[in-house]
Amino acid sequence: MTPPADGRPIFIEIADHIADDVLAGIYPEEAQVPSTTELSLHYRVNPATAGKALTRLVDEGVLYKRRGLGMFVTTGAPEALRARRRAAFADHYLRPVLAEGNRLGLSPADIIDLIRKESS
Amino acid sequence: MTTIDPERGIHLCGVTKSFGDNTVLRGVTADLPAGRIYGLLGANGVGKTTLMSLICGHSFRSGGTILIDGQDPTENAAVLENLCFVHEDQRYNDNFTIAHILAIMPAFYPHWSEQTAQRLIRAFRLPMKTKSKKLSRGQRSALAITLSLASRAAYTFLDEPYLGLDATSRTLFYEELLREYAAHPRTFILSTHLIDEAAELMEVVLILDDGVVAVHTDVDEARRSSFIVRGRAPEVRSLIGDREVLAERSMGAVVSATVRGHVTDDDRYAAHRDHLSLEDASLQEYVAAIGIHSLTHDSHAPAKDVA
Repeated sequence: MTPPADGRPIFIEIADHIADDVLAGIYPEEAQVPSTTELSLHYRVNPATAGKALTRLVDEGVLYKRRGLGMFVTTGAPEALRARRRAAFADHYLRPVLAEGNRLGLSPADIIDLIRKESS
Repeated sequence: MTTIDPERGIHLCGVTKSFGDNTVLRGVTADLPAGRIYGLLGANGVGKTTLMSLICGHSFRSGGTILIDGQDPTENAAVLENLCFVHEDQRYNDNFTIAHILAIMPAFYPHWSEQTAQRLIRAFRLPMKTKSKKLSRGQRSALAITLSLASRAAYTFLDEPYLGLDATSRTLFYEELLREYAAHPRTFILSTHLIDEAAELMEVVLILDDGVVAVHTDVDEARRSSFIVRGRAPEVRSLIGDREVLAERSMGAVVSATVRGHVTDDDRYAAHRDHLSLEDASLQEYVAAIGIHSLTHDSHAPAKDVA
């Protein structure tokens, strides 16, 4: 999943949902993703908003357009998404954990212990 | 969207409307290209219904210009048949049943869709044989929505369309609006107080305040146009600087302020450093804050009494 929504525009949330689905293999490479109209009805948003989500993913290279046919997942998109999210992992997840730990008097070592316990 | 024709749309320039001494609209200027869903927002009495009535030729403006697809709608049958405005408290002949009302609609709306009408009647479970005087508030709203969407009018005005409608029926309305819009793109102008619920339907929002269009922008921009900062008063004030505070509430040492403007990276840094919470205001909070700000700073206060 993506970082929690903090008042981000809905088109970014929709784009993140589609990217999540690409990562999860729901839309494999070269598969077609839902159209603007389908997204509009599914999320109950204005088609312009749904269109912005698709445009964002095209700009990021996750999707590409086949004229007259629709939007498709770019070959290599899952790997590229994974790499990008790994790069952002520290910013999006670790920093908030460390900041909250700091407020609570938990040292990084304490937090590492907690992670070990949770994942065992 | 694929079907936006730059020649088509609603052109408003300096539109005014007074009722006796009471000036409700003091110069409304906006260009609304056809083929979009617009949200017309603002506090009660700000003139949303008045503006829709003027555009639809249901009442006469005091001044200014209104053009629809380049033509003045006033007593212009060719323009008026492209407009559908079902009033918030629309009443029909008391003894008409829904079946009667549906039967006369095609005479007013050349693009009337019986299929859409029947689908919505079934979806809202409207009783065809009940006389209109016996309909509940929610049923009257459902009927108004049904007629508005089935009209397939090029310009459809929905003024507080869902008084008395429960959450299920409102959701149904949102879905049907989007379905109709996708299948037969046209212009919708929607006024509502359930702003956050309906915001995602809109592409462009207009906020009326003090008799003019105070905000006219796309919905994402409107949503980023104000933010709420909360924390200890001195730090909150320091973050706000000289930006405009739309609304402010305090509780002991804690202040929560709605501020006009975008959140900057400096704001995020200061909020993190000073333990302030910082978030974009929702569209509803933004509209409410503009209304409150206007009530407390308004030199034309009497105009606010008009419904």
